[in-house]
Amino acid sequence: MSTLMSPAEQKQIQLDRMRYTKNTLSSRLTLLAIVFDVLYFVSIYSTDVGSWYYSILIGASIVYNLVFMLMAFLSSEGVKSYHIGYAWLLLVLGVGQIVRIFILPMQAFKATVTISKVTYPVMQMPQFTYVVVMLILSAICCLIAGLAGIKRSRTLEAYKASLSEKAA
Amino acid sequence: MANISLQHLDKIYDNNVQAVYDFNLEVKDGEFIVLVGPSGCGKSTTLRMIAGLEDISGGKLLLDGQDITTAPAKDRDMAMVFQNYALYAHMTVYENMAFSLTLRKEDPNVIHKKVLAAAEILGLTDQLNKKPKQLSGGQRQRVAMGRAIVRSPKVFLFDEPLSNLDAKLRGATRREILLLHKRMNATMLYVTHDQTEALTLADRIVCMSMGHVQQIGTPLELYDTPANLFVASFIGLPPMNFFDVEVQGDKLVSPYFTVTATAEEQQLLAGYQGKTIVLGVRPENIEVGNDVAVKVFSNENLGMNTLVHGYLGGDAQTITCKLRGWCDYKRGDEVNVSFVKRHFFDKETTNAIR
Repeated sequence: MSTLMSPAEQKQIQLDRMRYTKNTLSSRLTLLAIVFDVLYFVSIYSTDVGSWYYSILIGASIVYNLVFMLMAFLSSEGVKSYHIGYAWLLLVLGVGQIVRIFILPMQAFKATVTISKVTYPVMQMPQFTYVVVMLILSAICCLIAGLAGIKRSRTLEAYKASLSEKAA
Repeated sequence: MANISLQHLDKIYDNNVQAVYDFNLEVKDGEFIVLVGPSGCGKSTTLRMIAGLEDISGGKLLLDGQDITTAPAKDRDMAMVFQNYALYAHMTVYENMAFSLTLRKEDPNVIHKKVLAAAEILGLTDQLNKKPKQLSGGQRQRVAMGRAIVRSPKVFLFDEPLSNLDAKLRGATRREILLLHKRMNATMLYVTHDQTEALTLADRIVCMSMGHVQQIGTPLELYDTPANLFVASFIGLPPMNFFDVEVQGDKLVSPYFTVTATAEEQQLLAGYQGKTIVLGVRPENIEVGNDVAVKVFSNENLGMNTLVHGYLGGDAQTITCKLRGWCDYKRGDEVNVSFVKRHFFDKETTNAIR
């Protein structure tokens, strides 16, 4: 079989390939987003957060982590099969990761703990930078996965519609 | 082009068991060769040696004149289809078919074209997004064939590919393989223990027993002029009837019957006067006549024909006759039959007398 194909033919085949291949880009980026989220919470929960550790915020944060990982995992499977709903969910999760920076990490960075009348910061600058970077990377992965998922799902949908029209 | 030359191939396992003895075969480009024989006769071992899955203990294997005796399997440009399909359960049909090409890092667009072309040939276009567990046995086997086709190999090797299928599906898939061969005109080697597959598919059949090649020839040659008792008994369904007879002048005398040899047969058996030979008669070469009396013990109507199983004399010698039409013999009835076409074998060497 000849490997020489015109650009138009190549584009056509790329489109047709989508009918049988998975959206692995979005799926893998989503799994990567989960990994960055794990690195984030492993770091932040290792902090000596002192007096505010047992606040409801920490509880909510833990629950959100579980929800995020579940949703992200389901989305990774969903976008793999070009389900546009899961792609939108990934965008929401990505925005959520950005918003999280301004809640727990920021509060932990501003918080102090007093021991023997000496006041210490709960979180040092290097750790704060680390957790923020992890959340940003997680957010970027979710957003790119979501955008790619939406684009590819729509492209595939349009292509299938054109095939149906041709068949009719 | 894909000519294969097997020269004096031997296979001896580490425990000194010899599975294949001095196997010689020249396979021409585009030829469909079927290796047939009972279980354990060395046919699969031979195929695996050709594929590179078994080391060759002795002899040479040439592909288009190039010695590939020690070449690794991946460099032989051969595709093998296994009895158990060997599909990846977690992959779709499309991914299964594309897998080998993906490993070779071929252009995904080229892979796509090849997979679609193979799916079209095999009627799998609508199944490409399904997983193997969602397919029937026949469809799974077609996927396995598709995986071989996309590689465009020089040689296709089939190791009992239809054994896991039911009788109806086996017939249908057999026809598909035949069409595939006609369409691709590729060199194919096919292993089976089913003589029907061998007779219907092969350009040439290699009949094996106990690691030895018994006969190589066209299906008609093996059926019509078997080289020895083994081939005569293995090819043909129901199997050939055998009787010990003594050559006495123009008579062939058995304890149960005496028949007269034709002039041609007398010439053939001239050297066997006074000796005992084996007379072979296919059930379909027996018709109602007046030479031999058969005492019926069972009668199987097949529609166009009737299989009559019976005894000659007491119950020491059995005979199976395939008589034309619908017969209604009862157990104990006596039927007189004649042998239309006869085969003769040397009792000592078991070779055909020609």
